[in-house]
Amino acid sequence: MSTPGTDSSAETRERRTDARSGNSFLGDVWVNFKRWNLKAVRNPFVLVVSLVQPIIFLVLFTEVFGNVAGGAVNRGIPGVSYETYLVPAIAIQVALAAAITSGVGLVNDIENGMFEKVLVTPMNRTAVFLGKTAAEMFRIAVQIAIILLLGLVLGADIATGVPGAIGVILVGIVFSLWFVAFSNALAILTRDQESTIIGANLLQFPLLFLSSAFLPLDALPGWIQTFARLNPVTYGVDAARSLVVGEDVMTVIEVSWFGGTLNGVVPGVVVLLALDIVLGATAVYLLSRASSSDVQ
Amino acid sequence: MSQPDVEGHRSNGTTPDSVTNGRTTIDVDGLEVVYSDGTAAVQGVDMTVPEGEFFGFLGPNGAGKTTSIKVFATLLSPTSGEVLVNGFDARSEAHKIRETIGYMAQETSIDPELTAEENIRFACEAYGVSRGDRDGRVDELLDLVDLADVADKRAEGFSGGMKKRLDAATALVHQPPLVFLDEPTTGLDPKARNRLWEYFQRINDLGTTIFLTTQYLEEADQLCDRLAVLLDGQIVADGSPDDLKRQVGGDVLDIELEGGGAERERAMTIAQTFDAFGDATVTETDEGVSVTSERARQHGTDLLVALRDAELTVTGFNIRAPTLDDVFLAITGEKPDSEPDSNTAEVSQ
Repeated sequence: MSTPGTDSSAETRERRTDARSGNSFLGDVWVNFKRWNLKAVRNPFVLVVSLVQPIIFLVLFTEVFGNVAGGAVNRGIPGVSYETYLVPAIAIQVALAAAITSGVGLVNDIENGMFEKVLVTPMNRTAVFLGKTAAEMFRIAVQIAIILLLGLVLGADIATGVPGAIGVILVGIVFSLWFVAFSNALAILTRDQESTIIGANLLQFPLLFLSSAFLPLDALPGWIQTFARLNPVTYGVDAARSLVVGEDVMTVIEVSWFGGTLNGVVPGVVVLLALDIVLGATAVYLLSRASSSDVQ
Repeated sequence: MSQPDVEGHRSNGTTPDSVTNGRTTIDVDGLEVVYSDGTAAVQGVDMTVPEGEFFGFLGPNGAGKTTSIKVFATLLSPTSGEVLVNGFDARSEAHKIRETIGYMAQETSIDPELTAEENIRFACEAYGVSRGDRDGRVDELLDLVDLADVADKRAEGFSGGMKKRLDAATALVHQPPLVFLDEPTTGLDPKARNRLWEYFQRINDLGTTIFLTTQYLEEADQLCDRLAVLLDGQIVADGSPDDLKRQVGGDVLDIELEGGGAERERAMTIAQTFDAFGDATVTETDEGVSVTSERARQHGTDLLVALRDAELTVTGFNIRAPTLDDVFLAITGEKPDSEPDSNTAEVSQ
């Protein structure tokens, strides 16, 4: 009837080779990067809406508080308009808002079965989540670029020019990673879309307002100053703001290792990277636990 | 009663020459799965599935079907026991198993934001179908599951049956030699179900081994060469669908009676001693009595007449093919616990 069945695995291996060309690790990242970008484009509504709130903040705050806040800002950083002061904060807000949707995407994947479907494929699991995260980083980069352009239109000034703008985008990405990890962890723990959105959104406003985002720290009450020193948003905003105004305006860590601007950027980025690693490791641990055992 | 050769015997004779060739695709020895909350979902399963076979796990909700299939598909680790799938060990060679199987989960699993074509294309890429083969494979599968005319439509608008068909197509992109189908037709209407059955039969005819789980005897009967009946995490019977039905012993005549226990007792006595039925199995039900006999169809009306002559009032009756419940009744002597499951979408029988 057929060849003797002594080595079925060798036979299956042979049969497989003509079907699977074999993805590399980067190939697997790319496949998932494409899927998540495609999903983002399919939902232009979400793309637009997640930009609306930061844009409203940018326009309203500069128009309503511009005159009042401008004085407080100028006491700290002379000669800087409130528009210029606010743009890096809004860039960080965009990163924060976009990071929230990362966990929502994961919950949706769990709910519609794609999470499990991907787990039974031979794709590398780390590559799967790297691809998804890369797509989100890409989206954050595009959205921050839009905010920076809008800021220029409204009269903000990026002292460091195009390299500085690219720097702000990179700071935004480094900043977003810890919140991406946080919202994914929340997604795995709750496995519920509403809880993930509410949980992540609840944090958004306290984090933004209890930081150096909208006003210099010394214009704020003491308890807020204390909280702000522990708030990752302060580190992201101060790093991005140093790039925008072209001088060291980092308010919580004073270093003088470099010349000028970098003294404001590097400490913030280092703190954020450390946070990214800690929360990222937590999310990876939760993800690998969710994908290897009690799937039911 | 002459038992047919159970291993790889094709009971329904739809394929001319049996495609099994003596190799095994699934080899399970002493499988046990205990969940972290202490639930023992699978309690000592031994089984082998030869290559080319259409094999079914039949059982009610909570019997351990999905748990078993998830172990075979590397989604769950076995607590103890040996599991070889396509010759690879489920613990140490999970990655090799993933390359050589297709898996269709009980819950329809597709990306609703992508089109039918994009869903299949993503699966092609995920399984590493070579670039040159992708276009052809996508078209071929869209044709196979009759979705070519909606290829560019987003899956979120599809009916339940269309989503299931799309899901099935994505499990086949890499032409796996073994495909797992976990209750693939639960929740579908009979027409959609029949259509899916055709696809499964077709890929099995092309040589693919299929492992199916189902709650429906009719589905197992229609598709499977061989079945194992699973109850409370253990295999309680194993054989071709005909074997299992033979254990039930014919068709079932359900009779509804007016009155109470005394009337049912009398009716049971009459049915048990009813010559035309030969050796019938008679059980009491909530509404009356139930009689299982190979001649229930031919002589059912005679029994109804006999009951009337004995001044019992028959308020209703129904002759039907045996169901899973009847198989369990025959095998275990008791009805399976029908614990309602969250995903129990009733299929009209």
